[in-house]
Amino acid sequence: MEWQALWLSLRLSLWTTLILLAIGLPAAHWLTFSPRRWKFLVEAVVALPLVLPPTVLGFYILLAIGPHSPAGRWYAAVTGGMLPFSFQGLLVASVLYSLPFAVQPFASGFAGVDRRLIEASWCLGVSRAATFFRVIVPLSIPSIVTGMILSFAHTLGEFGVVLMVGGNLAGITRTVSISIYDDVQALNYDAAWHTSLLLLGISFLVLAATYGLRRRVWAVWPPYGQ
Amino acid sequence: MACGEGSGPYGPRMGNELSVDVHKRHAGGPEIAAVLRLPLGAHSVTVLFGPSGAGKTTVLRLIAGLDRPDSGSIRCGDDLWYDGAAGVDIAPQRRRVGYLSQDYAVFPHLTVRGNVAYGARGGAAHIVHGLLASFEVSELAERYPRQLSGGQLQRVALARALAAQPRLLLLDEPLSALDDPTRLRMRGDLRQLLAGVQMPAIVVTHDRTEALALGDSVAIMIGGRLRQAGPVESVFDSPADADVAAAVGVETICPARVLSRSAGLVTVEIGHACLVAVDTAGASADVFACIRAESVTIERNAPANPTSARNRLAARIISVTPEGPLARVALDCGFRLTAIVTRQSGEEMRLREGEHVTAVVKATSIGIVPRGAGTLPG
Repeated sequence: MEWQALWLSLRLSLWTTLILLAIGLPAAHWLTFSPRRWKFLVEAVVALPLVLPPTVLGFYILLAIGPHSPAGRWYAAVTGGMLPFSFQGLLVASVLYSLPFAVQPFASGFAGVDRRLIEASWCLGVSRAATFFRVIVPLSIPSIVTGMILSFAHTLGEFGVVLMVGGNLAGITRTVSISIYDDVQALNYDAAWHTSLLLLGISFLVLAATYGLRRRVWAVWPPYGQ
Repeated sequence: MACGEGSGPYGPRMGNELSVDVHKRHAGGPEIAAVLRLPLGAHSVTVLFGPSGAGKTTVLRLIAGLDRPDSGSIRCGDDLWYDGAAGVDIAPQRRRVGYLSQDYAVFPHLTVRGNVAYGARGGAAHIVHGLLASFEVSELAERYPRQLSGGQLQRVALARALAAQPRLLLLDEPLSALDDPTRLRMRGDLRQLLAGVQMPAIVVTHDRTEALALGDSVAIMIGGRLRQAGPVESVFDSPADADVAAAVGVETICPARVLSRSAGLVTVEIGHACLVAVDTAGASADVFACIRAESVTIERNAPANPTSARNRLAARIISVTPEGPLARVALDCGFRLTAIVTRQSGEEMRLREGEHVTAVVKATSIGIVPRGAGTLPG
């Protein structure tokens, strides 16, 4: 059993989820409420990881954060380290890879908030930013929770991008899915069996908790007017 | 921020007016070209009246700053809210307008107290407390909106709007979300609430009885344009043109005085005639009696057998006007009453100007609407 790999995967998933919460909420707000005509282009870019093979995504990320890229040089100048084959590089890749899993539920939650409630808040003298935190976010909690859980679970299960960007360094980039792959390659079926079962259990528990929680959260505020 | 801060918490400075002169073209609706002047000094209720789709809601949204006109200007007292030419467009947050949408838009995730306190200036707890009390929702303070009735939601929304200390109230179809019995009750309540807060208000409605019950003055809006404005009674009684007449209907509306009440019925006096009607006026002594032309029947000779109709009035025919398959008959029965009959029966009964007939109105067909105390002459 690869406890080290499991712990690494959990850490990676947690950090990815937190970063996605921080950048996903404003991104989803912009996508939902911006009057810009060209925002469909941004929507398409955000959704790209859903359709691109992880190898393609991983390849471009590897180039983008490599030591010869502007981002890589900047990172080296600031930290003295390198992004590829590091936990931080893996984190960057995971955030990009799971972006649609956070932004899309967030945006659909925001879009579901009754426009009249938002306008009522504005007319009561509450700024757009404060309205976001006092009306839009509280009424989108189920969608925000869904987005976070999906990001977490998706990162926990990622394989291709990790292999491309992170490689297979024990304790640094060797995630649980990579360790299962290694076990199978080495015909070590017992270990693969145990780790797989654990991952299956964790994933199921996380999703079951989400849907259960979602139902209870909904019970606190049913759709307006029902 | 001048015109809301004259005398007392809600008392706008005298002599100011809201002046709206806007133009807006938008898909799926009429082109809006509205010129409206509303004195802010008098805490009066102006009803924006017109058929559905006339653009009334859009005008309210333009005033609130929720929609932007294509051109024109909106001015509140000394403050310029919108000027197309000068590129001025003040955000709704800074206009300080209390806007009630049709379904009240009470925040479902906050308690009644949370809603009322939401936009309270300075968040002063005693203001919230006072508003909860004066709108009779104190005992509901910790409840969530889904546990409230339509009438309670309306009071919460009004209290919430007032907590933000607006200088002007805008109410979009305030009674349309309520069921019929509640609507009848709230019509009178809302009138009192609006009179109590001492604030100028614009109320949008397409219901003439609501217009009569709530408004001091009325502005008639048809096809995106304001066509006539003035005191409610005079506009409804003497529409300026045929379109306005069609919009307000040319039914009978008479100021009436309550003589007696019993068993849910009310006897009112109009001129020297007495009518019995179903009592929906609360405790008001001065009312409007509204009679739809379709519900007035004309009889040539009084029948020997009594009918279920309570009101039989001796009448003289003033005029008979053909309207397609129908004929509109103006009657003088001590007050002016309009009836509609089919042209065929009009000819069979030989209805002619100057003839004497009997006008019959069922008690259930007479709408009794309370008149705002002291707001109308008579």
